[in-house]
Amino acid sequence: MVFSFELFGQAVVTGILIGGIFALISVGLSLIWGVMRIINFAHGEFLMIAMYIAYFLVAKGGWDPYLTILITAPALFLIGIIIFQVTIRPIIKDPPINQIMLTVGLSLILQNLALVFLKADVLTANTAYTRMNFYLGGVVVRGSQLIAFVGSALAAFILYWILQKTDIGRAIRAASQNRDAATLVGINVRSTYLLAFGLGSASLGVAASLMIPFYYTSPTVGLFFGLIAYVVVVLGGLGNFIGTLVAGLIIGLTESIGASLLPGSLARVLTFGIFIFVLLLRPQGIFGGKQK
Amino acid sequence: MSLLEVSNLRRDFGGLTAVHDLTFSVEPGEIVGLIGPNGAGKTTTFAMLSGFITPTSGEILFKGTSINKLKPHQVCLLGLTRTFQIVQPFPDMTVLENVMIGAYTHHPNTVDAKKKAMEVLERINLAHKAEEQGKILTLPELKRLEIGKALATEPSLLLLDEVAAGLKDVEMEEILELVRQLNREGITFLIVEHLMKVIMNLSHRVIVLDFGQMIGQGTPAEISKNPAVLAAYLGKED
Amino acid sequence: MKIQIKKSTILIGLLLIVGFILPRFAGEYYIHISVLVLFYAYMAVSWNILGGYAGQHSLGHALFMGIGAYTSTYLFTVIGLTPWIGMWLGGAFAGVIGGFVGYLCFRYGVKGPYFALVTIALAEAAVYIVTNIPSIGGAQGLEVAWTGNAPQLMQFDGKSGYYYMILVMTIIAVWLSSWLIKRRFGYQLLSIRENEDAAEALGVNTLRLKIQATVISAVMTALGGTFFAQYFTYINPRAVFGEGPSVQILLFAIIGGIGTVWGPVVGALVLIPIAELSRGWLGGTFAGAQILLYGTVLVLTMLFMPNGILGLYHKFLGKFQNRQSDGGKSEAL
Repeated sequence: MVFSFELFGQAVVTGILIGGIFALISVGLSLIWGVMRIINFAHGEFLMIAMYIAYFLVAKGGWDPYLTILITAPALFLIGIIIFQVTIRPIIKDPPINQIMLTVGLSLILQNLALVFLKADVLTANTAYTRMNFYLGGVVVRGSQLIAFVGSALAAFILYWILQKTDIGRAIRAASQNRDAATLVGINVRSTYLLAFGLGSASLGVAASLMIPFYYTSPTVGLFFGLIAYVVVVLGGLGNFIGTLVAGLIIGLTESIGASLLPGSLARVLTFGIFIFVLLLRPQGIFGGKQK
Repeated sequence: MSLLEVSNLRRDFGGLTAVHDLTFSVEPGEIVGLIGPNGAGKTTTFAMLSGFITPTSGEILFKGTSINKLKPHQVCLLGLTRTFQIVQPFPDMTVLENVMIGAYTHHPNTVDAKKKAMEVLERINLAHKAEEQGKILTLPELKRLEIGKALATEPSLLLLDEVAAGLKDVEMEEILELVRQLNREGITFLIVEHLMKVIMNLSHRVIVLDFGQMIGQGTPAEISKNPAVLAAYLGKED
Repeated sequence: MKIQIKKSTILIGLLLIVGFILPRFAGEYYIHISVLVLFYAYMAVSWNILGGYAGQHSLGHALFMGIGAYTSTYLFTVIGLTPWIGMWLGGAFAGVIGGFVGYLCFRYGVKGPYFALVTIALAEAAVYIVTNIPSIGGAQGLEVAWTGNAPQLMQFDGKSGYYYMILVMTIIAVWLSSWLIKRRFGYQLLSIRENEDAAEALGVNTLRLKIQATVISAVMTALGGTFFAQYFTYINPRAVFGEGPSVQILLFAIIGGIGTVWGPVVGALVLIPIAELSRGWLGGTFAGAQILLYGTVLVLTMLFMPNGILGLYHKFLGKFQNRQSDGGKSEAL
C-alpha cells in the first residue's frame, strides 16, 4: 500500500468530521445510560428510524435534508418517550439482565420491522450537498460532512447548555448523581427519566438529518452506530460530556486512519480493541466519569 | 501467640487516610469490641482483616501467617470469616443452601455440607425455615442467618459487623446469647458495633478508634472512664 | 422399601421415548424443526451455565460457536480431518479463549452490563478478523463439502442422523447442567450470582469459579458450533460470530427461565416450532419476520413474565422458586 502525506491528511480530516457525528450519537446514549444506568441496546435502531424518516422526507418529499431536523428531532423525542413509557419504565427496577434483554428485544423488533416493511435495500439520498467538495491541497473536504460536523458540535453544545443551565437539565443531572437525594429535594425522578430518554433520542434525530446527505440508510445501519456509541461512551467516561465528545473524535480518527493503514475492514478490530482495553483497565473512561 | 496481630496497619484512599498506624491484637477465646465514631476506620479495618481491601502498609498476622495480600476466600479458609453490616443473604437460594455455601468451605461433598448446614441451622434456631428462600426471612432471622453462614465455615475468629443493629431488645438478646455461647465453645470474636449497650455487655476488651488510630483500649469499665475516649467518642454519641 | 417415582422422572422418561422414536413417525420437515429445537436448547443450556448459574451475562457467545464451527470446518476442508475430531479441537480452542477472556474480565473486575459489552466487542472483533483472513474463506465463508452418507465424517443421508446426534448432545448437556447444579461447583456458582461479596467472604474462590464456568460454557458452545456447520454445511463470519447467533444462543434461556436446568429447553421447545411454522405460513415473503417474532416475545417476556415460562409456571403452582434475581439489590424508585 502506498502511503502518502495526502492520504494521511485525508484520513485525519475525514476522521475528525465523522468523529463529530459519532460524538453526537454517543452523547444521547451517554445521557440515557448515565441517568438511568440502563444501556439502551436499541440506540442504533433509534438512529436507523430517524434516518428513514429523514430519507423519505428528502427523497420522496423533496425536503432540504437539514430542514428535516424540524421533523426528525421532535419525532425521535416522541418515539423515545413513548418507548420509554411503554417498555422501559415498567422494568426500571428489574435485574440488569432483564433490562439488557428488553432493549435487545426492542432492537430486534425495530431492525426487523424495517426489514419486513422497508426491505433490505440500501438507500442513498442524493442531495445538493452530496457532491459539494472543497480542496485543501490534496485533501478533499466533503461539504456535507463539514456541515454535519459543525451541526453536531452545535447540537451537542445545545444539549450541554440544556443540561447545565436549565432547571430541567439540573434535575436530570441531580437524578443521575443521586436518585434518592434528588427525590428528597422534590425532583420527580420519573419524569426526569422520561425527559432524559426523550432528549437522548432527539439528538439521534438531529444526527440522522445531518448524516443523510452522505450516509446510506438500511435496516442494519443501526448496528454499526450502536456499537460505535457504546465504544465512545465507555472511552469518554460514562456521563462525562466533554469526554464523550473527545472520544467521538478519537474513534473517528481511529476508524479512518486505521482504514487507510490496515487492509479490508480490520480498522474495526482496532476500534473494538480500544474498547476492550478501556473496559478492562479504565472502565471509568480515559477522562474519568462515574464509577460503574 | 496471639490469634490475630495487627501492626502499624495503614490504608489510604487517594489523599485520605482511613486507617492510620493501627496496632492491636486479639487473643484466642476473647470477645473484642471495636468502636469509634462514624468514619473512625472500623469498616476499613474490617475490610482489610477479611481480605476485601489490601492494606497500604503494615502487617496482619492471623495464626502467625501474614494475610495482608490474601483474598477473602483464602482468609476464610484459614479460619477468619466476617459478616456484613447490611445482611447479605443469597436471596433466591433456600436458607439451607445459604448456609451450605459456608459449609462447603471444609466439606466439599454435598451430603456432608448439607449435614453441617443443618447442624448450624439448629444452632441458630432456623432449622424450621431450612427450605424457605433467603429473601422471605425477617430481619432478626436474616441476622441469625448471617451468623449461620459464617459459622458454617468453621471459623476460629469471627468478625461481626453490627450484628445487633435494627433489632428489638428481645431479638438482640437472643443474638448476644448465641455469640456468648459460641464464644464459650471456643470461637473468638471481633465485633464492630454502634450500640454501646451491646459492646459493654458482650466484650471482654474494647478497642477505640478515632480518625483511623487507636485512642484507647481496656475493659468496658475502663473504657467508659477513659477521658480521651469520652472526649472523642462518647461525647459525640447521640 | 417404598418405591417412589417422581412426576418429573416420568415426564423426562416420556420426553426421552418421544425423542428417540420421533424420526420414525415425523417427516423431514418436522425432523428439521426438531433439530432446530434441540440445537438451540443445547446452545441455551450451554450459555446458561455461565449466564444463568454464574450470573455473568455474555452477549457475545457466538464467539465460541464461531470458533467451534470454523475450527472443525477448516480442518475438514483443508486436511480432511473428520469433524468428530475437529469438534473437540474447536472445543479445546474455545476453552482456551474462554479461559483467557474469563481471566481478563474477572481479574479486572468487569461485571454486569460491562461484561456483556466486552463479550459483544470480542464477538464483533472476531467477525472482522475472520472476514479479513482469505485463507479461511474471508467474507464468503466456508462450505462443508458433501461427501455422501459418511457418518465417520459427521455427514448423514437425511436428517435423522443429525437429529440423533443433536438429541444425544442435548441430553448430555442437560444432564451435565443438572449434575453440576446439585454439587458444590453449582451451588457456589449460584452464590456468586446471588451475592458475590458474600460468597467470597464464605470461602468461595469467585475468580476461579467464574473462569471455570466460562470455559465449560465455551467448550460446550463450540461443540454446538461444529454441529451447526455440519448441519447447515455452510458458515460465514456473520452467521456464526455475529450478533444474530449471539442473541439466539441466549434467547431461549431467557424466555424459558434463566438459571434453571429446564428453562433453556422449555424456551426452545415452545418458541421455535411457533417461529418455524409461522415462517412456513408466511412463506419467504417476509425476511426478518422470525426475528421480529423473537424480539416481540422477548420484550413481552421481560414485561409480563420476567422469570420466563418456568417462572410463571412455578408462580401458578404457588411454589415460586425462581432462580433468577438481582441479589435483592434493586433500589426503590
